[in-house]
Amino acid sequence: MNDDRNKVETSEMLKVFWKSFLIQASWSFDHMQSLGFAYAIQPVLRKLYPDQAEYESRLRAHMEYFNTQPYLASFILGAVARMEQDRALGRNSSTDVLSLKTALMAPLGALGDSFFWGSLKPFSAVVAVSLLMANAWWAPIVFLILYNVVHVGLRAEMLFHGFISAGDAAELIARYHFTKMAKLFKAVSLTVLGGILGMLPTWRLEFKMALPLPSAVSTFAGLLATLILVAILRRGGSPVKLMLGLAALCLALAYGGVI
Amino acid sequence: MIAFDFHIVLPIVGVAFVGGIIGLDRTAAGQFMVSQPIVAGPITGWMLGDVTTGLVIGAVLELIWVLDVPVGTFVPADSSVGAVSATAVAILGSGGTASPDVSGFSILLTTVMVPLTMMIDVIVRKQNSGLAEYVLAAPGEDVSRRLALAHLSGLVIFFMKSFILYLIVLPAGLAAVLLFARMPTQFHSAMALFVKLLPLLGAALVARKLSIRTLDHFLLMGFVTAAVFTQFIHIPALSVSVLVIIAGLLGVRLSER
Repeated sequence: MNDDRNKVETSEMLKVFWKSFLIQASWSFDHMQSLGFAYAIQPVLRKLYPDQAEYESRLRAHMEYFNTQPYLASFILGAVARMEQDRALGRNSSTDVLSLKTALMAPLGALGDSFFWGSLKPFSAVVAVSLLMANAWWAPIVFLILYNVVHVGLRAEMLFHGFISAGDAAELIARYHFTKMAKLFKAVSLTVLGGILGMLPTWRLEFKMALPLPSAVSTFAGLLATLILVAILRRGGSPVKLMLGLAALCLALAYGGVI
Repeated sequence: MIAFDFHIVLPIVGVAFVGGIIGLDRTAAGQFMVSQPIVAGPITGWMLGDVTTGLVIGAVLELIWVLDVPVGTFVPADSSVGAVSATAVAILGSGGTASPDVSGFSILLTTVMVPLTMMIDVIVRKQNSGLAEYVLAAPGEDVSRRLALAHLSGLVIFFMKSFILYLIVLPAGLAAVLLFARMPTQFHSAMALFVKLLPLLGAALVARKLSIRTLDHFLLMGFVTAAVFTQFIHIPALSVSVLVIIAGLLGVRLSER
C-alpha cells in the first residue's frame, strides 16, 4: 500500500497550482466554487486513486458547497491534497478530509478578503495612481507588479505550505502575519492618498484646475473638499450617487457662470 | 466627433472581444487584476491609439471602485466594463484623441450603467448553478469529463456576458456622445470640470473605507509631506511620490513603538 502510487508528487501539485487560477470559472450563488475546487484537486485524486470508481466517488465528494477567498483556496487545496494522500494510505477517513475543508473555508475567506481585497489591492492601486498623477505612464505596470508579486508568490507558497502543514491554519496565520501586513498596507495607502492630495498643484495636465488661488490654498481646498466628501460618505451614500451628485454640482457651477 | 459608419464596427467588435477577455480576470480566471480600471483603461486606450485617455479614465475609476469588493455573495459594480466602455466611447466618440469634456461625459454614462451591469452579473451567476447540476445529475457517466466541460463552460459564459454587453453599450454610448456634441457650452465645461474633481471623490471613497476617522493621521502625514516637498522644496512630483511611500513606512514603524 505504501508505495509511490499513493504519494502526491510535485508534478501533481503544479497541475493543481495551475488549475487553481480557474477555481471561480463556474462561480454561482448556489454552489460558489464547488466545481472549481473539484476541478483543481482532480490531478491529485487521479494519482491517488487508480480505481475509477473510487476516483469518481472522491471527485463527487469534493463537489459539495465550497467558498473561500480564491487566493487562500490554495492553502486548502494543499491541505486537502495531503489529507487525501493520508486517506489513500489509510491514515484518516473521508469525513476528516471534508471536515477540514469546511472548517477552513470561512475563516480563511474572511482573512483573505481583508488582506487581499481590503489592503493589498488598495495599496497597489493608490501607489499606482500617485505615480500616474506624477506623470508616470508606467504606473499600471507598477500596480500589476506590486499586486502580483505578493498574490502569485503567496498562492504558490501556500499551496505547498498547506500540504506540508496538513492544513494547520494557526501556523499559517503565525507565519504570514496577514493582520499585521494588512495594517501596514492600509497605513501606507492612507499616507500615499494624503500625498496625492498634497501634490494637487503638480497633478498631470488632464487633472489640473486653473484656480485663481495660490497653490498652497488650492492644495488645502482639495484636502478640505475630500474631507467634506468623506463626511458625506459616513452619513451614507454610494459611489454612483456621489458621482451623479458631483456631475450635478458641476452643471450648476457651469450654468451659474462660476466656470 | 464622428458619425456612425461601417469603419467604427471593427473597433467596437475589437474592444468587445478584448474587453471580454479582460473581464474573465474579474472573477473567472486568474484574478491578476488586469481587469482593474487602471490597467483595463490604458489597454483599451492603447488599442484605439490614445493611451492617455485610458490612463486618465482608468486612474479615476480605480480610486472610485477599488474598495467595492466581492465579499461572500455580494457582486460588486463591474468597474472593468466601466473603464473599457468609458475609454472606448470617449476615444471613438472623439474620432481620435478624446477631449476632457467627452471623457467626463463617457465616465458619467458608464456610471449610469453600473446597476445594469451588476444586474446582468447576478443573472449570469444564477444561471451558472445549472453547470453544477449538469455534473451532479448524471451518476454513472464519466464525471471527470462532465466536470471539466461544465466548469470550463463558465469561462465561455463569463466571456459572452461581457462581449455582448459591450456590443450593446458601446454603440449606445457613441450615440449619446453624438447628442452630447450638440449640447450647450456650459454642459461641456461642466463635464471637463467633472473629470478634474473625480480624483477627490475617489480619494474620499478610499479614505472612508480604510480609516474610521474623517481625518486620519496617516493621511494628514502624507498630505503635509507631499505639500512641503512639492511647494517649498520644489522636488519633482515623481520623487515626492516615492518620498511619501517612505514616509508612510517610517510612520508605521514609529507608530508601532
